[in-house]
Amino acid sequence: MISRRHVFRIGGGILAGLALPRLSLASDPVEIRMQGKADGSHVWFDPIGLRIRAGQTISWINLDPGNSHTATAYHPKNFEHPLRIPEGAEPWNSDYLLPNETFSVTLTVEGVYDFFCAPHEHAGMVGRIIVGRPGKTHSEEAAAQEIPEAARLAFPSIDEIMNRGIVRPA
Amino acid sequence: MFFRVAAAIGIIALAVPAFAADQVEKAPPSGAYKKVSELVKLPDFLPGLGQLYVDPKTLPAGPFLAYDRDGRLVSTVYMLPVEDLTNKDKRFDDLAAPGGKVDHVDVYFNAGHPGVEKPHAHVVLWHVPKADETRVAGK
Repeated sequence: MISRRHVFRIGGGILAGLALPRLSLASDPVEIRMQGKADGSHVWFDPIGLRIRAGQTISWINLDPGNSHTATAYHPKNFEHPLRIPEGAEPWNSDYLLPNETFSVTLTVEGVYDFFCAPHEHAGMVGRIIVGRPGKTHSEEAAAQEIPEAARLAFPSIDEIMNRGIVRPA
Repeated sequence: MFFRVAAAIGIIALAVPAFAADQVEKAPPSGAYKKVSELVKLPDFLPGLGQLYVDPKTLPAGPFLAYDRDGRLVSTVYMLPVEDLTNKDKRFDDLAAPGGKVDHVDVYFNAGHPGVEKPHAHVVLWHVPKADETRVAGK
């Protein structure tokens, strides 16, 4: 069982080896909630789209009492998924979070980060974070790679996130 | 499609007696059943279902045996991937139904969870009356 402390140690491990992501105490974490209907028929991140400053910390918390979730970056290192985070940014994978467990990561490279829940990608449980300006988006090759249709259709647009700052699930 | 499958499973459940070798009335069941929360990372007690046990060889369909907080069997659950239910070449035949008498059946969509990641249908054979479903409700 991954304890809260262990979850943060995973984040710390990611931070230790590279310049980013790194732990930032300068600003409060921005929370993304993992949620689901009681019967498991629908699961989602809330918010599903988010614009933050470089160096801000994102914290995911599982508020779904009947399910486990992950926050996993789209990156070849994560289950050979297509690259959908900025080139040079370090991918993350929270592993399974049980109810009320959390995972945090700090993002410093500007750009668009797409992430998914490993057991629920096929159900469209994905999200998008824009750090600073979107800049160069994911390569055509990555964009063309197969991801489940439910996931592909669930991403809020870059324009919507830039205009609204926070995009809640419909 | 779900309802045809559910009806077929319901008939199987009524027709097939529990395996004499396996004790399933109280948790933990005997035989090859393992606690689901020890096989994959899921909460030990799932609101609406209860505490689940499954023979890993039968994944993903099951049967999963579901128990209340006092360890009493409340339902038998099958988890049938939607893509399999819409595949004309895929069948679920002769699923075991060790839980005995079925009071009523629920069928509903589930978006997935560790162990059965793809969207699937839960087919729940309740061994208790509707009013006793509260025994596995969330706190």
